[in-house]
Amino acid sequence: MIEERFINKQTWDKVLNFIALSDEPSPYLLIDRDVVREKIDLIGKNIRNSRVFYAVKANPDREVLSYLNSLGIGFEIASEGELRILSDLGVEPDRIITSNPVKTLVFLEQAVSYGIDYYAFDSIAEVDKLSRYAPNRNVYVRLTVPNEGSEWPLSKKFGVELEDALGLLIYAKEKGLNPVGITFHVGSQCNNAYNWNTAIEKARDLWEMAADKGISLSMINLGGGYPIRYTRDVLSIEYIEKKINRLISEKFPSDLTVFIEPGRAVIGDAGVFVTSVIGKSRRGDENWLYIDVGVFNGLMESVGGIKYSYVVGSRNEPKPWTIAGPSCDSFDVIDKEVILPEPEVGNRLLILSAGAYTISYASEFNGFSIPKTILI
Amino acid sequence: MIKFFEKDPYAPIQYVYDIEKVLYKGKSKFQEIMVVENPYFGKMLILDGVVQITERDEFFYHEMLVHVLMHAHPNPENIVVIGGGDGGAVREVLKHDSVKKVFFIEIDEEVINVSKEFFPTVSGSINDSRVEIMCMDGAEFVKNRDKDIDVIIVDSTDIVGFAKSLFTVEFFKSVRDCLTDEGMFVTLSESLHFHKDLVIEVQEAMRLIFPVVDLYTAPLATYAGNWWTFSVASKRHDPRIMRRKFQIDTRYYSDEIHAQAFLPKGFYDRLMARGLKW
Repeated sequence: MIEERFINKQTWDKVLNFIALSDEPSPYLLIDRDVVREKIDLIGKNIRNSRVFYAVKANPDREVLSYLNSLGIGFEIASEGELRILSDLGVEPDRIITSNPVKTLVFLEQAVSYGIDYYAFDSIAEVDKLSRYAPNRNVYVRLTVPNEGSEWPLSKKFGVELEDALGLLIYAKEKGLNPVGITFHVGSQCNNAYNWNTAIEKARDLWEMAADKGISLSMINLGGGYPIRYTRDVLSIEYIEKKINRLISEKFPSDLTVFIEPGRAVIGDAGVFVTSVIGKSRRGDENWLYIDVGVFNGLMESVGGIKYSYVVGSRNEPKPWTIAGPSCDSFDVIDKEVILPEPEVGNRLLILSAGAYTISYASEFNGFSIPKTILI
Repeated sequence: MIKFFEKDPYAPIQYVYDIEKVLYKGKSKFQEIMVVENPYFGKMLILDGVVQITERDEFFYHEMLVHVLMHAHPNPENIVVIGGGDGGAVREVLKHDSVKKVFFIEIDEEVINVSKEFFPTVSGSINDSRVEIMCMDGAEFVKNRDKDIDVIIVDSTDIVGFAKSLFTVEFFKSVRDCLTDEGMFVTLSESLHFHKDLVIEVQEAMRLIFPVVDLYTAPLATYAGNWWTFSVASKRHDPRIMRRKFQIDTRYYSDEIHAQAFLPKGFYDRLMARGLKW
């Protein structure tokens, strides 16, 4: 059974209980608090001097953030909207950082007035903005690193190479900012442990180049990238962190501070999308299944290559399905060749590991509402 | 004399029957169907290698499956029987004058046909004008009705899929939604000897959805484990209490049997607290 391989038994039990007891109309996203707490306990545990900042973009639901706040971790944000929720929740500014290398002016002003002290950058224009709106604040430069083996590569939009990074650190210091560190991102859902090797070695090179220019750094920010199980097994967080810790211990001073910005790894496999089958058809030689969540209201990542695991409560013969969302856009196709026993219209279809980058991407395109998030 | 070795995949015991004659052997879209003659039990209906009913003792099962709820309900008029293609449950239901309509939902038409031919005393009532036969999945039938059924009887060894699952949860919710506010539901739920944990799981799954859940048992000679359970869910009424006078013709069930069929309360609580060790 797929649910035994890709979801833990306690979570599955809670999900079934919720569905049994509740008359909440689908679609909705269930988040298991216990899984979130276990992940928070685990992440950073094997890396010396580390601090964890949850990447709010992964799932910015108010209840989720409130629960994470109660666990005492930090937050990584990118916009005034994300800051507003944290501010409503009373999150202290020293638990917030922003790693968006290109910030809006509105956000920058609000972040500074809120008291946030850590800002990423990777361009001269951003240093100019920061020096004007955030003088004396701690800043860190974003390096490009290889993203091979991550399912959601992202280094092209941001980051600079070594020489440029050095120039930017020097420029930032000249402009009255306090350059403290280096950040990078190995790519989201990264299942290639070697990416961290390459990234950390590159950061070490920059660290030494900066030291030669009289800039003494104290922090590296590992970004995110820890993978979760969707349809196959992945490297464990413990394994990745032990590897990172060994590298860091070899290559950096012992008082180095390490920031980690997990998003998917915290909330992804704590989430189960509860959807309903709204239609079925046979087109050519393909079986089509239509459900009430699609690319536009929650499953945007399916387009970029994330393959989910699905569960239906049917005992019919399994066959291959193309699964599509409810909207009238022909782009709204979630998955193909998914082997499932044939459900009936009205049956529930559950999507596992759907806690991250689902609701946060959702729009109300075509009038389909954004599914509600419920903590269980 | 040839022997029939039963192939019950869930039983830790195997029954062997003498066979005088194989009367029918065929394959439907859903299963293998066989009718054989045994010197003691008479004709026996066998589906996929598992004995379903025998002429000699089917009444124990059918009476206990049907009459407990038919007496606990104050006025059972609209009844659904899911499975039980042999027609025995329908026969028992029709003994009650209150009944106006029986939806008889059997996915496998072949079982009905074979039963009509070989078990006329069991299937004899299914042509009654109050009976509507529908060859479809029971789970599908209950999804499409709205609070108009008084009693639902699941006469199948597997419709509940046994343990808690997405199927079970959805099925029980559909059952709840098609029952009236006084509605009740019964299903066979395995042997207390061999599948105690499964019985508990079915009861727990029912408790999530129904306010009143209980368990009664009956002695069944040809079902492995013999001490078989019937899981009951009800929206309001306690099924232990008879709300109608016992005045039908039966061989095993009676008001006395009704009163002692349910597990003693303390024993039931120990079962559900997983306090029974065997």
